[in-house]
Amino acid sequence: MPFLKRPSLAAVGWGSGAVGFVLLLLLPLGFLLYRIVQPPSENWNHIQEYMLLGYTIDTLTLAVSVGVLSIALGTTLAWLISAYTFPFRNTLKWALLMPLAIPPYIGAYAYHGMLNYTGFIQRTLRTTFDIEVSQRYFDIMNIPGAVFIYTIFLYPYVYAITRAFFARQATTLIENARVLGSGPVRTFFRIVLPVSRAAIVGGVTLVMLEVLNDYGLVNYFGIQTFSTAIFQTWYALDDLNSAIRLAGILMGIVLVFLLLEKVFRGRQQYSYTSAKASPLKPQVLEGWKKWTALSFSGVVFLLGFILPIFQLLYWGMLTYEAIFSAEFVSLIRNSTIAAGISSLLVVVFAVIIANFTRVASGWFSTVIARFTVLGYSIPGAVIAVGVISFFLYAETQLQLFYAYAGISTELMLSTSLVMLVFAYVIRFMAVGYNSIESGFEKIGRRYSEASRTLGMGWIKTFFKVDLPMIRAAVFSGFILVFVDILKELPLTLILRPFNFETLATTAYRYASDERIQETAVPSLSIILVSAIAMFVFHILIEKEPN
Amino acid sequence: MHVQITDLEFSYGKASNAVVQNFNLHMNEGEIVSILGESGSGKSTILRLIAGLETPSQGKIGVGKDTYVDDQSGKILPVEKRGLGMVFQDYALFPHMTVGANILYGLNKWKGPARRARLQEMLELINMTEYRKRYPHELSGGQQQRIALARALAPQPPLLLLDEPFSNLDAHLKHRIRDELRETIKYTGTTTIFVTHDQEDAKVLSDRVVLVDKGEVKKTGTPYELLKETTVPQGIGGAQA
Repeated sequence: MPFLKRPSLAAVGWGSGAVGFVLLLLLPLGFLLYRIVQPPSENWNHIQEYMLLGYTIDTLTLAVSVGVLSIALGTTLAWLISAYTFPFRNTLKWALLMPLAIPPYIGAYAYHGMLNYTGFIQRTLRTTFDIEVSQRYFDIMNIPGAVFIYTIFLYPYVYAITRAFFARQATTLIENARVLGSGPVRTFFRIVLPVSRAAIVGGVTLVMLEVLNDYGLVNYFGIQTFSTAIFQTWYALDDLNSAIRLAGILMGIVLVFLLLEKVFRGRQQYSYTSAKASPLKPQVLEGWKKWTALSFSGVVFLLGFILPIFQLLYWGMLTYEAIFSAEFVSLIRNSTIAAGISSLLVVVFAVIIANFTRVASGWFSTVIARFTVLGYSIPGAVIAVGVISFFLYAETQLQLFYAYAGISTELMLSTSLVMLVFAYVIRFMAVGYNSIESGFEKIGRRYSEASRTLGMGWIKTFFKVDLPMIRAAVFSGFILVFVDILKELPLTLILRPFNFETLATTAYRYASDERIQETAVPSLSIILVSAIAMFVFHILIEKEPN
Repeated sequence: MHVQITDLEFSYGKASNAVVQNFNLHMNEGEIVSILGESGSGKSTILRLIAGLETPSQGKIGVGKDTYVDDQSGKILPVEKRGLGMVFQDYALFPHMTVGANILYGLNKWKGPARRARLQEMLELINMTEYRKRYPHELSGGQQQRIALARALAPQPPLLLLDEPFSNLDAHLKHRIRDELRETIKYTGTTTIFVTHDQEDAKVLSDRVVLVDKGEVKKTGTPYELLKETTVPQGIGGAQA
């Protein structure tokens, strides 16, 4: 008589919200698939014959080279900081995360400014030391230059995840290796790297996804990747159909990377939750070793944060009077509104979905959770073409309703902020969701159950017990999404309403107009907000007992 | 009979092995019954089924005049409507609420003055009146346990469920708290089901012991009758009787 078993009211309640959101998220992607199977346009033959190979080679070269170098840099730094004590180690521990506050396209503006003929390095060499250098050595606007920029600003993903792993999960193994007489180099290569493989792969996948997503840097450097190609095909050739096909291929590359991630992770799952191990006790470095460790990590911090910041500050001082105006206030307002509304929506949906996956275990909630985080692996340009095709279709269907409601315009949604916010929510859902899900994981189900046995229904329990207990996670999720949106470029460029400028699009516009010095103030505003957010998180995470 | 549990059956998901099967228990009002079994015997699941945190595939559960579960009519009373008291293994005191707010939590349907009076009464019962404004993390393990008990007893539940409430306590503390707990429960006259793997706990605390293995009742009797025999399954911890 198994009829007593049926889904609980709470599961049904949270489930409907979760399913509704996931459907909304899948619609644009469905549109993309539908459009890809349509017959190609004339341009497509040309693209396929002459351009496609170039796009693929450049995109893969960038992603793979940056991936390899980020692993080398990120794991080495994580190991140095976790396993050894040397001067300024505690400062460098968080300082080495800071390059992440600088979006690669802004880093690229700063480095190009520093290294070009009129930049301060060549100028100093010329005027102070009377040295003329070959421009060949200082030209950064090429693939090796882009690899350097991406690596120096994105390696913190590998560094942060790997360091967290070293500090919390690998302690016993590392200490055992030490007891068994293994030296530092052997321990690193034989124990540390293999056991942290899952963490490293997790970090480097994020790095490569960022590279595939980026548009600002490759466009500025004139490198032909899929991101730039999607934009050009769409804007210059006015061929949305071919842009969608390119987006489809880029998505294929992303899927291959994600598949490789699964393969390389093997059966190890990377998680903090089972960690009860004590943190690794660092060894004191002496003599030349400590100075080498300090110089190495110091130089990385210098290249990834200090130098570009000084360059931007210098430019900022030259241009701030022209930039600070009513227009700048409206930039800040636009950025804050777009990021604020979207982040709020993200955390609301994330709370609903995370709660659903918590109360209803089983394959269905697992599928819902997988789809929820899908957006973060899809490059902005791909989401943009999906969302725009979906909205254009939706609006043709809504014409009758518009006529009935007396709305005169033909395109209301696709010329408003709605479309951009929708795309942001899809793209950054994973960031909010992961934060909130980990909050729920920490509290478990015991408190909700206690509340239910004390007579509270599932809605009251949620507002009185669950929500107050995960408020830190909700807050973190909100801030992380907010900062990500503030830095975001490709989606904003394509989907913003007419004349809607944000800090990121303005920095991009100035750089495209070769008014490189003017990029400084909007760039610094973005970096300042990101840096403060990251610093606060570092403090919060360090304070956490587990 | 105050508590009537008949032919209770439960399995997780589609697993064919029942975690609880053919479980029957009848209790008089004010009685304290221990469910004794080793880990994995299904004893905690029985408690969760009575509380309404899990739904049985079969069986009947009734407490007082209320029917919680009836497989004939398909009735399942939601957990929050059962009005039971439950003390969790890790107490589950809400960390963002003070001791007072924790105890008041289950009294939301009570009128203002009655609520305040009940809070005072409960704090006096457990000798912790001066701790009303403290937060759970500011209390010792034993104090947290007393608050969890007060919170569960405050709404005057028809049945109190205790899930291994001593497992987080040091041995020397446990003896004192165990005696206090029995005293408090007997003073309030609350019918209680207590789940444990420790024979000594079952002996001291309960009027009757139900021995459970693989989700089934193996034996039942007074602690004296049951625990003087040496037929307790291996692996059950605690002091030997």
